[in-house]
Amino acid sequence: MLRWSGAVLALMLVASGWLVIQSPLDAMQGVIQKILYVHVPCAFASYAGFFVTALGSGLYLWKREDRYDRLALAGAEVGVVFCTLTLLSGPIWAKGTWGQWWVWDPRLTVTLLLWFLYLAYLLLRSFTEGSERTARFAAVYGLMGATAIPLNYYAIELFGGAAMHPDNLERGSLGQGMGLPFLMSVLTGLVAVWYLVVARLDLENLRVQSAARLGGYPRT
Amino acid sequence: MRVAAAIFWKDLLIEWRSRDRIVAMLLFSLLTVMVFHFSLPGGATAQTQAMAPGLLWIAYVFSALFGLGRSFSLELENDALSGLALAPTDRGWILLGKVAANLVILGVAQAVTALVFALVFDLSLLPVAPALAGIVVLGSLGLCTVGTFFSAIAVQTRFREVMLPLLLLPVLWPLLSAAVRATTALLAGEPVPSEAIQLLIVSDATYLIVSFLSFDFILDD
Amino acid sequence: MSRAHIEARGLFKRFGHVEALAGLDLTLDAGECLALLGPNGAGKSTLLRIVAGLARPSEGSLSIDGDAAHERTARRRIGYIGHASLLYPELSARENLIFAGRLYDLADPPGRADELLSEEGLSEVSQRLVSGFSRGMAQRVAIARGLVHDPDVLLLDEPFTGLDRRAARRLESRLDALRRSGHTLILVTHDLASAARLAQHVVVLSEGRTVYESRGPLEPDSLERTYVDALEDAP
Repeated sequence: MLRWSGAVLALMLVASGWLVIQSPLDAMQGVIQKILYVHVPCAFASYAGFFVTALGSGLYLWKREDRYDRLALAGAEVGVVFCTLTLLSGPIWAKGTWGQWWVWDPRLTVTLLLWFLYLAYLLLRSFTEGSERTARFAAVYGLMGATAIPLNYYAIELFGGAAMHPDNLERGSLGQGMGLPFLMSVLTGLVAVWYLVVARLDLENLRVQSAARLGGYPRT
Repeated sequence: MRVAAAIFWKDLLIEWRSRDRIVAMLLFSLLTVMVFHFSLPGGATAQTQAMAPGLLWIAYVFSALFGLGRSFSLELENDALSGLALAPTDRGWILLGKVAANLVILGVAQAVTALVFALVFDLSLLPVAPALAGIVVLGSLGLCTVGTFFSAIAVQTRFREVMLPLLLLPVLWPLLSAAVRATTALLAGEPVPSEAIQLLIVSDATYLIVSFLSFDFILDD
Repeated sequence: MSRAHIEARGLFKRFGHVEALAGLDLTLDAGECLALLGPNGAGKSTLLRIVAGLARPSEGSLSIDGDAAHERTARRRIGYIGHASLLYPELSARENLIFAGRLYDLADPPGRADELLSEEGLSEVSQRLVSGFSRGMAQRVAIARGLVHDPDVLLLDEPFTGLDRRAARRLESRLDALRRSGHTLILVTHDLASAARLAQHVVVLSEGRTVYESRGPLEPDSLERTYVDALEDAP
């Protein structure tokens, strides 16, 4: 599974890379616009990661099987990395186009909050003692966080306001010839999440098994 | 349910006997107001008055963090928490009883804080007092629900004082921003945006239901 | 009256990779008094907490007359007296018992509280805050708390610890009276003498497993020898 998805990912990275290089330069923004081919997939990936965490959390509370807890953990660790990349790549583009590193517009704020949610989740895991209790608490917090996200979006809807962040989910807001590279890079991002979650799961399974053999508490 | 009522009165009785939470919260609020006053230039100007709603809610959140942590740490003595878990009832009622008690205790601290704010920032709160109280209650309901819930988690981890704000603040953002917006409009004499009230009500209802249903998982061992 | 029948089947409880209970089977008839013995860490407290509905098994089942232990119907019939007193130091003995009565939704919590306090001989100090009680007195209030809802099944986790001789003897006769009136008791204790006098069913646990079980009247001296032997033979 791991090798197979790794191969697919490698192929997609090459394909995306080529498409991005080939893609036309944006008339107004110039080459800096190309960072969006990284930023947007990272954003999608960070939400995908949280989805995995929420899914794992829900399944764990329902079935109480350790493997769902491992899934939730993998989702969080992968998601936080992509969320960090999103928060780093966005400002690079923003400085190049708006002239500012950061604005407090709703979408940015929500992404920042997602990042804090991830961190809180991971810190909760390291500060709780006992792996069963850790799994349980983390799962509950994962679900709470998952509840918070739609509420955050509801808040964005209501407080429309100073939305500087482009709403490029609309058709036609992309320039000519950019559609395919974007699609490809977003898909690549999602496959990357898949690959990394599987890799992290493998790693976690190994760790749990070796801890069992050594007879100790596995530190999550 | 009667178990919730029993816990509500018990928590209030304990608080009345020791008064440690309310005193700490009041002191903390007052200190916060003093800090705001000193860090803002020129005292009660139009500018600072515009910032007052946000500052007020910051003071509320900080003093809530203080008081909510204690809500479950008092159950740790003599393992009283197990005593609660033994009760033959839906465990969500335990949470609701505590949320109600925390609301009352926080409410007292909030009322005093609002008074001090009005004095320091030269605000006239009396004409809008009922509406303000309504907004504060709506906001605090969500704050206490999630705060009490996470306090139950935090108290069973290491670094519990740090854990509570860490868990709470990312989840509370929509609620707090709605509360601040509503308060800002109210104090500026503008009509309160109904979207803000909507968001408060939806958040409160969602968090109450989710917390009630999930509380069992927190007490299970 | 008590129809309590407790059955544990294939009970496992894991904390990470530590198995507190490793495949335990146990059957208890109504009105029995079980002495649960074993060294520290053997899983006795864990088992008791699972019976009380305070913890869930990782695997296996535990039922009380068919109801799973964590269900409300089962919790209503169980009284738990743990290591800790479960009392609020800031409240008086009477207030603690009234609160407990409300948790169990009793019809007349204050009446029941007064009744229990006079049974334990604590009526004069009922209004005093628990924080001012000696260990023995607090223990007596804790026991009253466990009995507030007149449970069929009583679970006691090392109740004799820290009691002086007089208090211990009082407790023993209290437990004996409860046993005679048809209550089911599970007693975790290191006090083998009291265990021998009270129990007719003994289970010795070690590392989460049963290493010895017997039914029938016991002699205090032979119980001590049996206990030591059982632990030596354990793998």
